[in-house]
Amino acid sequence: MSEEILKAESINKYFGMNHAVNNVSLSFNKGEIHGLIGENGSGKSTFVSMLTGIESVDSGKFILNGEELHVKNQVEANRNGISIIVQEMGTLSGLTVAENIFLGNEDRFVKHGIKNANAMNREAQSLLNKYGLERINASSIIDYYNFEDRKLIEIVKATYFNPKILVVDETTTALSQSGREELYKQIKRVKENGNTVIFISHDLAEVLKLTDRVTVLRDGVLVKTVKSSEVNEDDLKKLMVGRELNGKYYRTDYGKPVSKDVILAVKNVSVPNEIKNISFELHRGEILGIGGLSECGMHEVGKAVFGASYDRKGEVVLEDGTQIDSIPTAIKHSIAYVSKDRDNESLVVNDSIRDNICLPSMDRLGKNHILLNKNLSKFANEYAELVSVKMTNINQFVSDLSGGNKQKVALARWIGRDSDILVFDSPTRGIDVKVKADIYALMSKMKEQGKSIILISEEIVELLGMCDRILVMKDGSLSGEFMRDPALTEEDFIAKMV
Amino acid sequence: MSQNDTTREKRRSKFSEKYLGIVILLLLVFAFWAVFKILTPANFGTPSKLASYLQSCLIYAVGGCGLYFIVVMGLWDFSIGANVVLSSILACYFSQKFGYAGLIMAPIVCGTLIGLLNGIVYIKLHIPSLIVTVGLSLIYESLGVFATQGSEQVLSSSYRAFGQYPGCLILALLAFLFAAFILNYTKIGTYTYAIGSNEYVAKNMGVNVNKYKVIAFVLGGFFIGLMSILTISYGTSMTAASNMSSMSRNFMPMMGVFVGLAFRKYKKPITAIVIGEFIVALLFNGFVALGAPTTIQNVVTGIALLLIVTVTAKPVKGAVVK
Repeated sequence: MSEEILKAESINKYFGMNHAVNNVSLSFNKGEIHGLIGENGSGKSTFVSMLTGIESVDSGKFILNGEELHVKNQVEANRNGISIIVQEMGTLSGLTVAENIFLGNEDRFVKHGIKNANAMNREAQSLLNKYGLERINASSIIDYYNFEDRKLIEIVKATYFNPKILVVDETTTALSQSGREELYKQIKRVKENGNTVIFISHDLAEVLKLTDRVTVLRDGVLVKTVKSSEVNEDDLKKLMVGRELNGKYYRTDYGKPVSKDVILAVKNVSVPNEIKNISFELHRGEILGIGGLSECGMHEVGKAVFGASYDRKGEVVLEDGTQIDSIPTAIKHSIAYVSKDRDNESLVVNDSIRDNICLPSMDRLGKNHILLNKNLSKFANEYAELVSVKMTNINQFVSDLSGGNKQKVALARWIGRDSDILVFDSPTRGIDVKVKADIYALMSKMKEQGKSIILISEEIVELLGMCDRILVMKDGSLSGEFMRDPALTEEDFIAKMV
Repeated sequence: MSQNDTTREKRRSKFSEKYLGIVILLLLVFAFWAVFKILTPANFGTPSKLASYLQSCLIYAVGGCGLYFIVVMGLWDFSIGANVVLSSILACYFSQKFGYAGLIMAPIVCGTLIGLLNGIVYIKLHIPSLIVTVGLSLIYESLGVFATQGSEQVLSSSYRAFGQYPGCLILALLAFLFAAFILNYTKIGTYTYAIGSNEYVAKNMGVNVNKYKVIAFVLGGFFIGLMSILTISYGTSMTAASNMSSMSRNFMPMMGVFVGLAFRKYKKPITAIVIGEFIVALLFNGFVALGAPTTIQNVVTGIALLLIVTVTAKPVKGAVVK
């Protein structure tokens, strides 16, 4: 019988009317990697936020080593041996790497109110070296480093003091393979020291590979805790959504011919430092996939088609000869674009669902340039319901919604606009299986209506399952093309990617 | 890459991080100096003239040091002008009673208290600092009017050591060292940047955000107090301002702060503020030497400021700037 280190007793958290974490009681063992999974909005992140002092606990308690925890912020949590690597950017611009690592803990370097910056830099540098990050300079301003390096610095910050509990909240999606390896190494090190890791991820394969036990949350309620060695991905999916999915949420049709009509042609398009000489054609009613490694340039192709690239060369032409070279022209000619970066490029998060859905269609919702509230609300309601956004009403702010529901709002606006050419960049990124299935169903329906979709995705299985044709990209250029075929495997695909 | 290469690489990048910004600024100083020197060789840029430009630049740079703490956090202080006017009036008054002690202490205390008040009102009312400080500056202006009944306050000629070299230079250098010390060697510096970068994350790291915002305003006020000593010593007289006429005094310290912000990644913000103010002083005086009307000077100075910041900040395409 393994020894318990941390216990959660009847934890509750409300956000307004939303019961985000509902009476969750859970136990964590020493030397265990404990997975926490669930759909978007199931309460995983809220649960660990309470544990680490980022959010307050409404009722219930956390008991660490037999003593009740009272932490008000991350630093206090650290002092109790609990640390977290967060989903978003957790480092601060304008500070040096060392200042970031010791933020909130600089008192050890302060004597009579004077901070010994040299000692701090030295210690930070020796920590970085210990993690094999000699290339990072502790005294440099952190802005000199890219997102991935900053994430690695966060890993150092969260693990250098040998935490008893390390929380990793959906961090791997932000990292490349080598960054992931480094994170896995640190997670295993924490475990080997007899400490505990709470690991949150949407990547079920990764969760099964890494963890000893997995706890599934649904709508804030604990569904079940299982041993990772005794379950497979389908079991987990079933627990997450509470119904059978059988992996059957992709299209099942094969061999149906696609129309010969070319609705959009991309001719020799280049964008400096991003893509080189890309040409392809999109047919009516076709779902065209574009895949590759994250940095292969495929995300820029989406922007280029939508007229959103800077310094683009080459042409994007519609069937009637219209040149698309700016966003307004693209929207006017029925092109839609859903960015990979939901919160920054896709949605106005500090605004209502209604306004977000109506945004590209404002010109159609007014009378003589005067907007009528009645029209806007009717329009927004219609399309929010069509994609079944989980909301209190359309006046709710988008910032309150979970990732999956945010994405539904982004899709609803273009369905409302009745766009004929839809560019979806990673539409199911960080989204749970249930909303994924909804999005795939929407895409199939659009295809039946004769609309054309460009699906840019880092998930090969998704491309294989949904697309009539897939283009593979590598280092900014096209490196291969596959037609829809049940015999096509991930291995065929990967061979062209790397 | 071998270990050797890594160290060499690091050393090179360290040099560019530390000194490149200052080198760029000094080149700009030289470029502006050269342009005006060629245009009006007789009226501009002799050593004694440069010393006099430097003296005015020091005054604004001292104020800029204080404003920097506030602006880095993403806050504003538009009460600098009103603070300077009130503090200078008090400096005159107290110098008559207590000599140099009054001249130094009165504006420092007054300036710091005004900063404290700005900070507390901003925290308590939960409204933008820009509005708070504009609103309060009307009150500070009025206090000056009540105190003087509208008459001009003149600093006695026996207390003007800070209005000339080396007094002004010593006081200014002390102020710069103190500002740099706080930024680099205390928690206040670290937390100032942390709050400016992401207040929410800073809060999660245990930083008492409200406390450090008030501290920033207090420091701001303290440096404005020092700036007032230099202002009254240099100008020798001060009349109370009203109807926001003190507002125009806000902009010169701000110019240096903008340059300091633009050069922030080179880790020498205080030096950048001082050189930035000097560049602005060169421009102003350059146009005076050319005999251009003040309006044209303002236009050109405004454009130069925009150019300097644009060139150095290297805006990223597509990045949202607010």
